[in-house]
Amino acid sequence: MSDPAPLTTDRPGQVASATPPAPGRSRHLSDRWLAVVFISPALLLLLAMSVFPLLWALYLSFTDYSATRGGPANFVWFGNYTAILASAQVHLRALTTLIYVVGAVALQTVLGFSIAYLISRRTHGRGLLTTLFLVPMMLSPVVVGLFWRFMLDAQFGVINSMLGSLGLGQVEWLTRQQTALFSLIVVDTWQWTPFIMLIALAGLTAVPKYLYEAASIDRASEWFRFRTITLPLVWPLLLIAVLFRAIEAFRLFDLVYILTSGGPGVSTETLSFHVYKVAFLGFNTGTASAYGILMVLIVMVLTQLYLRYLNKLKED
Amino acid sequence: MAVSVDEAVATGPAPDRTRSARRRGGLGRTVLEVALLAVLAVVMLFPVLWMIETSIKENRDVYAIPAKFFDFKVTLDHFKDVFVASGGGRSALSVSFLNSVLVAGVSTVLATVLGVPAAWAYSRFSVKAKKDQLFFILSTRFMPPVVVVIPIFLMYRQVGLIDSKLGLILIYAAFNVPFTIWMMKGFVDEVPAEYEDAAMLDGYTRLQAFWRFTLPLLLPGIAATAVFALIFSWNEFVFAIFLTSSDGVRTAPPAIAGLIGGTTVDWGLVAAASLVFALPVLIFAYLVRKHLVAGVTLGAVRR
Amino acid sequence: MRYLRRSGRLSVPRRTAQLATAAMLVATTMAACGGQDDGASASAPKAPATIPELTKDPLTLSFIWFDWPPAHALETFANAEYTKERPNVTIKVNTVPNANWHDAMFTQFAAHKTDFDIPVLDSQHIGEAVTNGNILDITDFVKKNIDVNAYNPYLLAAYGQFPQAETGKRDENASLYGLPLLGDTWTMIYRKDLIGDKAPQTWDEMISAAEKCQADNPGISGLAFHQANGSDAAAVTYNTVNGLYGGNLWDSKARKIDGVINDAAGQEAMDVLVNKMKPLTAKGSGNWFIDEVNAAVAQGKACIAFNWIAASGGLLDPKQSTLGSTREEILSKLGFATLPSQKTNLVPLGGMGMHVSAYSSKEKQAEALNFMKWFEQADIQKKWAAAGGVPARTDALESPEFLNAGPFNKVYADSVPRMRDMWNVPEYARLIDIENTNVNAALNGAKQPKDALDDIAKEQQSVLDSSGRKGGGGL
Repeated sequence: MSDPAPLTTDRPGQVASATPPAPGRSRHLSDRWLAVVFISPALLLLLAMSVFPLLWALYLSFTDYSATRGGPANFVWFGNYTAILASAQVHLRALTTLIYVVGAVALQTVLGFSIAYLISRRTHGRGLLTTLFLVPMMLSPVVVGLFWRFMLDAQFGVINSMLGSLGLGQVEWLTRQQTALFSLIVVDTWQWTPFIMLIALAGLTAVPKYLYEAASIDRASEWFRFRTITLPLVWPLLLIAVLFRAIEAFRLFDLVYILTSGGPGVSTETLSFHVYKVAFLGFNTGTASAYGILMVLIVMVLTQLYLRYLNKLKED
Repeated sequence: MAVSVDEAVATGPAPDRTRSARRRGGLGRTVLEVALLAVLAVVMLFPVLWMIETSIKENRDVYAIPAKFFDFKVTLDHFKDVFVASGGGRSALSVSFLNSVLVAGVSTVLATVLGVPAAWAYSRFSVKAKKDQLFFILSTRFMPPVVVVIPIFLMYRQVGLIDSKLGLILIYAAFNVPFTIWMMKGFVDEVPAEYEDAAMLDGYTRLQAFWRFTLPLLLPGIAATAVFALIFSWNEFVFAIFLTSSDGVRTAPPAIAGLIGGTTVDWGLVAAASLVFALPVLIFAYLVRKHLVAGVTLGAVRR
Repeated sequence: MRYLRRSGRLSVPRRTAQLATAAMLVATTMAACGGQDDGASASAPKAPATIPELTKDPLTLSFIWFDWPPAHALETFANAEYTKERPNVTIKVNTVPNANWHDAMFTQFAAHKTDFDIPVLDSQHIGEAVTNGNILDITDFVKKNIDVNAYNPYLLAAYGQFPQAETGKRDENASLYGLPLLGDTWTMIYRKDLIGDKAPQTWDEMISAAEKCQADNPGISGLAFHQANGSDAAAVTYNTVNGLYGGNLWDSKARKIDGVINDAAGQEAMDVLVNKMKPLTAKGSGNWFIDEVNAAVAQGKACIAFNWIAASGGLLDPKQSTLGSTREEILSKLGFATLPSQKTNLVPLGGMGMHVSAYSSKEKQAEALNFMKWFEQADIQKKWAAAGGVPARTDALESPEFLNAGPFNKVYADSVPRMRDMWNVPEYARLIDIENTNVNAALNGAKQPKDALDDIAKEQQSVLDSSGRKGGGGL
């Protein structure tokens, strides 16, 4: 506030000598002012674009409002919430989402870690290998979804064509209940294994060399070294990656939209996809808002876990 | 320092492994591991290779059964179709690419301009309930887009931002600001506060110290952060499909998705468009490869 | 390794509590403001009976449709022909992906601001748009400007009337909200070289012919039809078979679905579809829609296929087909016929009408009305037919311009008296989704056919009955 130094000064020495002898308070004040000026625009944007809409959604979630039908929004209080929590349709989607999240994250963790481990054991070509493995992660879900849909096509897809050359039969990748969800998991795994790999690799390359050297003098078995040195050191970082992926997988919408649009039947409809249908097919905005708020609560719990873990890591 | 692909090559337990492997007569094992890696690499890269092949095949070869891997006639027509409309003139796809450039570019600039000063302030000053604020900021980034899009839609219709580039720019900026703050805070933390203190002893104001001494040091970090924000906005689909509908506003992801679902699917065109769309991202990602770990975890994990 | 410079613990409950309190405060404030802007009455505003004076300034008249050849044909046609009368006008047809078509129009309607003046609504969308007041009531305009006797009454009613007309009729006292833009129905596409020149006459015959063809020609499947769970794909397929086997989708007067769609005829139709037709389709065809069926035909992989006429033009393009290197060669192998009949001869009504956005400027609404009047003239309808469109006026349908423009156009003309549509109630989007997902589930073995049909009946009925429920609508 009462900063004595002109902003355009070119002669710092002079100004410094002019600084009053009690800089503490003034600097403190000016710092606070600066902090407010620097932080508030970002916070304002978030308030306007994230918080306000969410509060609006919270309000709507207690009403039977519809974005298209017009008319006043009547309060139904917890009617939407109880209907959602009691709905067998929602339970079905929750189960699908759970299978998907657990399946995809588990698969990509195992694969991603394995690849990272294999790469970390190579002396040559690690940079190139890592770069190549990272390509899927950089693609838009739209591109990934469309192209896998083409490759998984039962009639014209290259996957079935290759299976055919091996003398195996055609697989209905996207149109059977089990295979469709499996395909979704596979495609997500294809795209996000590099993510786990990248972070696991960061952990693996950071394991201090002397630990291995000590172990190798002790003639410890490879498995023993892996279990007692590598894993404990990489595990915390890996868990961060896993949690992060779980949150992302829980939010998944675009891949379902493009790859299966929830089919066959509703067997690959995730919670996100169901919210979309409630919100934009029937324009039951009130119900969709309540549904969304419930999803946000779950995300908040996961995020909380994630941050707790980050904190703990830092403290150790 | 952030993890880097290049550095990963130089360090690590590998050298000592050779010794132990030799001791065990583990040449076979090394071969096995290399083979396994090669197989995994082929599996991971095959879809991309197939996309490239499809983009240069004629349509009748695209549908061939069994699939043609090598003996097909190469054509660049699909790439031409990405940019040129069938009747001549600019194609709707190329317009959507331009829209993407604009929307992703401006939203990234906005997120950077808002996020970098905030990150600096969070790093340097004792702000009230700092942790809570930072938690809150990051948690907004984790909101499911499908959920956020409902109230955003209602809000936008009140203020007339539906089907406008500005609407997309604002929501992308809002999603990128938390990332920018978290990522940049890490970079700012790496610049010793003593630099600024020293400058201030020389008579610079705090603001000047930031502007003249800290900011230049942050530039590489800002560039990396901006690239990740750019990639997010570039690839984003959910907001784009629900908040826009006209050709003049639509960005590339919904436009590419719109290539299927007509009366015939031109997979060659889909592949070519996807490649053209993905290329800038791959180039950018390569440029910031040193900061990938921090970038993909929203700045939460750094080394 | 270094992580965030953070310490201390985050206390969730306290923050959550604060947040919740703040939220409740805001919610209450908002509640006090009432239901936002939506005080608008729930009925469509009226268009003027006579077209107001048109502007001489440059003006762009925008349509919204989904991305398919007729949309591009319309833009080219209108810019070439309409501008002869109105040189200051440019026609723009915005296109969106088919899967996003309903959402794209109705989200803009919901926004009370549209970037289009003429939404091309599917016949079933009318109820939703009318009830929400999204499109203009053009009853008076039609009376004054359109020669209604030039049309098959049901065609005129199907794309404009609400409440819905009975199949085959038009209620002259009902209001009109749109005029036909593009007529359409299913055509049967059959391989003349494989099953003979003569098209099967009944549905049963058709199934046996497909069965025989599949057995005789390894690698070629007997049937190809829409099975996807998006848009209205699988639902139209079931509805078609349902109609042919004497079933009904609902009793519109009693608003009854449960007990109607799943009556004996409905069950038989589902049984035919899942147990007789589905086994003749290609493996993995359970997510096929228009383009996949076209691809199967063009690649010579199907004996008999069903598709919308307006989407069939690409089949004659030698560049996309393996059936021949010229149009003639392809046509020597492909036959197009009206659907076989069974207990009835009903065929699905397809196509779309033109409507006028209630949120467009007065100037553009006037231009839109003028365009519609222009478009429905006899000679323009014939030109539209020649340009690849499907007209609705009887004289245009019978004109050589139309009948010679494509091998499937006669199929359309013959099908007009046989058409049946789905419900066009405001709850349409939900009804179609329930039917789509359940039929798709039955076709792909995710549900027993009977269970799927009963679920459709039960769920659709609950959508119709759900008005007045306290919360949870749309689940």
